[in-house]
Amino acid sequence: MSPFDRRTFIKTTGALAAGAILPLAAPPLIQSARAAGTVKLGCLFSSSGTMANLEGRLNYVAKMAADEINAAGGVNGSTIEVVTSDPASDWPLYAQVGRQMLAETKVAALFGCWTSVSRKSVLPVVEQNDGLLFYPLHFEGDENSKNVVYVNSPPASSVLPAVDYLMSPDGVEAKRFFMIGSDYVWPRTINKQLKGYWKSKGIEESAWKEEYVPFSFSNFQTLVNQVRSFADAPGGKLVVVLTVVGSSIPDFMREFANQGISSSDVPVLGLDMVEADLEGLDTQKLVGHLNCWAYLQQAKGEANQTFLKSWADYVGKAKAPFRPDVAIDPMVSTYDAVHLWAMAAKKAGSFATPEVRKAFDGLSFDCPSGYKIAMTAENNYVSRGVFIGSVNEKQGFDVLWQSKDAPKPVPMSQYG
Amino acid sequence: MQWRGAVAGLFALLAACGPAAAFDRAAIAGWSCAGASGMTEAANALIFGVASASKEDAAWAAALAGAALDRTLKCGGAAPAIETPQGPVDAVTLQPGAAGDGSAPLLSLKNRPLFETARAAATLFVGATPGERSAALGALERRAASLPTDIFERAADAETDAGLKERILGAGQAALLNSPDMTKRVAAIERIAATPDRRALTRIAALKADPAYGKDPAFKAAVDAGVGSIERWLAVSNALNALYNGLSFASILFMASAGLAIIFGLMGVINLAQGEFIMLGAYVTYAVQEAMRAIAPGALDWYLIVAIPVVFAVTAGIGVALEATLVRRLYTRPLMTLLATWAVSLLIVNLVRVAVGTQNLQFVTPSYITGGRLVMGDFIVTWNRLFAIVFAAVTLGLTWFVLKRTPLGLNIRAVTQNRAMAGCVGIATRRVDMMAFGLGSGLAGLAGLALCPIYSVNPQMGSNFIVDSFMVVVLGGVGTLAGAVIASLGVGQINVLIEPLYGAVAAKVIVLLMIIVFLQFRPEGLYAVKGRRK
Repeated sequence: MSPFDRRTFIKTTGALAAGAILPLAAPPLIQSARAAGTVKLGCLFSSSGTMANLEGRLNYVAKMAADEINAAGGVNGSTIEVVTSDPASDWPLYAQVGRQMLAETKVAALFGCWTSVSRKSVLPVVEQNDGLLFYPLHFEGDENSKNVVYVNSPPASSVLPAVDYLMSPDGVEAKRFFMIGSDYVWPRTINKQLKGYWKSKGIEESAWKEEYVPFSFSNFQTLVNQVRSFADAPGGKLVVVLTVVGSSIPDFMREFANQGISSSDVPVLGLDMVEADLEGLDTQKLVGHLNCWAYLQQAKGEANQTFLKSWADYVGKAKAPFRPDVAIDPMVSTYDAVHLWAMAAKKAGSFATPEVRKAFDGLSFDCPSGYKIAMTAENNYVSRGVFIGSVNEKQGFDVLWQSKDAPKPVPMSQYG
Repeated sequence: MQWRGAVAGLFALLAACGPAAAFDRAAIAGWSCAGASGMTEAANALIFGVASASKEDAAWAAALAGAALDRTLKCGGAAPAIETPQGPVDAVTLQPGAAGDGSAPLLSLKNRPLFETARAAATLFVGATPGERSAALGALERRAASLPTDIFERAADAETDAGLKERILGAGQAALLNSPDMTKRVAAIERIAATPDRRALTRIAALKADPAYGKDPAFKAAVDAGVGSIERWLAVSNALNALYNGLSFASILFMASAGLAIIFGLMGVINLAQGEFIMLGAYVTYAVQEAMRAIAPGALDWYLIVAIPVVFAVTAGIGVALEATLVRRLYTRPLMTLLATWAVSLLIVNLVRVAVGTQNLQFVTPSYITGGRLVMGDFIVTWNRLFAIVFAAVTLGLTWFVLKRTPLGLNIRAVTQNRAMAGCVGIATRRVDMMAFGLGSGLAGLAGLALCPIYSVNPQMGSNFIVDSFMVVVLGGVGTLAGAVIASLGVGQINVLIEPLYGAVAAKVIVLLMIIVFLQFRPEGLYAVKGRRK
């Protein structure tokens, strides 16, 4: 047999080609490049799986904020490099990637997580490694770790003001409530606190109903039937408090509109509903439904205009697969988070977690929402403004109500 | 503020006593631009004044309320203006020449229904067609309790359409539930009980606390009869609702699993990419929609129909290609097919993600599948679900026809029953495999099309269906269409029945447990193919 027959030739060239292509085709879990005089920030946002459409854009916002800071001279003489990853909407993977970033990539801080279940899985990792996680979502509160910076609001300064508004004469004087949520920690905790809150206001237990659905549930026919019949029962105005997440939100809203219920009959307060959830929906029939966040795209002020313009420019420049004309609260919160970290690091003159943490006291930043957001020495919460949005015809939210100033965050709920 | 609205309403009511009292147009238009409490006042003034207003004034009221709802009312300029396609007009005189700048006032949750009522009340008087007036009446009937009592009488007097006049009078009778005249009250109860929904039950059942219930036996009898009849009808309509919901869920399950039943049954190939074919079907539908938007925007509403052959051809083609390049080489290694098709599913998902993006696709909802119709009591038929049910039924019929009445179907059945023997009598089993895989993939693609109007379309949508469809196929019995039909009907109906009792999470668990238990006793599923298996 000749030493170089056809078969061995194919085998060796094939193996060689595969060896050359594989590293290209399969990028490492964490993408990074080393350069001198840089400080790394890690992002834990999924770009695949259920959360991809929502979390994916936060990677770009973090990079955009880092670019802004770098253009202004960086932090402590170093330029910021943003390291992204893809935890694939797989909750335990957030912890694994987070650990890798802190221990091997040596990032100075982590920015990430959308769902509370992913935050809970990263929590032990940042506590063990004494890292910092900036969490950009409003959430259920009842957590106060020195290793997590809660950039968005706990229920006392997001959900409760919104529910108060609905129960007031300016709202609809809501008397009864239908809670529908995805079956995990955030909806269950929020609903527990809401029930405690209503009890404290003297509302009977028969005035509410509570239902949970699995993740990415989409068959809402029966549930909407139930809402309809509960709405027509005696006892006063009904409001739906919707805490489903991901693709369940548009599916619920579509069924709701198709069964002929308008916001005048039963308003829906979608706690996790953002502009991106309305993509692909005919919002003509959804006008008037509500959400509540610490930022809405329609927020007035110079800072918001600047932010919207930089995002539109950045999408064009980075060819991000997201709409340049849509900005949602977690984007702004991520943007705020990167800036807050940079300000703290500058103030501390160091990137070490204990130093940065000490520097949080007294930080304040002009958030695109128009509020001056601030931190205190008490905890790692950030005080933010409160907006209630109302769905309009153009798949966006109008500002229905906003708080006078940024209320002081209350981490631990007194209700339930 | 509540009392201001009430006072405004009272004044309007007093004014209404005089003949053809005119609206204070300037004041009302001004209130409409004066924040949330002003808007409440304006809407109340419109509602309470419209019954006694002149035709011209009522038309103006409809225009103003409509402008506030459609956000064409502009409050920035010197005087409030309404934006129209012909240019801005003055909100008081409806004459052109106003400056239409400034922003539209935002309707608060409380004011939106008030303005809707105001618009409907005004339209009832001045709507151009009986259809318009009838729709307005429908909107008013639901809020009859909050309306001034004379509104229906006056509208009936002015109505020219005999049938509509009858309906308006009926609505007027129903509004007299709290009238001092006992015979009118009894008539109102009968009237309300004629539309047996939950709201009617609440209204009539509340009368049991009325003092007249204890004193007047005729009244008591009317209330009891009303409650009884509504409760009976409600029970029927609830049962119909459950049936319809079960049928609609079953149609989705069947569409998702029909293709799999053929592929899994025929070749024993566990095709984990089946869900992705559903997703591809939805994306091809989107492509057809965009193509139609470019070529024939007038017929855009019919893209779902036009897309049917395209979707089937494209997904079947991809299926055939997949079979020829990959699955065919792995027939003897079932575990490897499983892994390979899983890899293909990941590949397809990520290709779509890179090429199109992760966002939900924006579908035009054609008019024939928007909304729904209250058929009886609380039983509502939503058109998009009905579309899926009909679509599934037609697909079932066609697939059945192909399998039972065509040479291809004969071959597929022969190979399913006994591959070796079919080969011996001269059937090209490999070619049949390819065709069957194509047919199965095409059916999955059609499922994607049927799901477009119901679910959100994004690259991940396929993975939601794969577990459900395997469940149906295994339960139904591998390789039989009838099994898939019965299994999806059963699973759909049971799911819908359990859901209101124990919640959606528990429903899933219970259904899966039931299937496990069932398969313990009948591992071959509901319908097993008779004949020798490999």
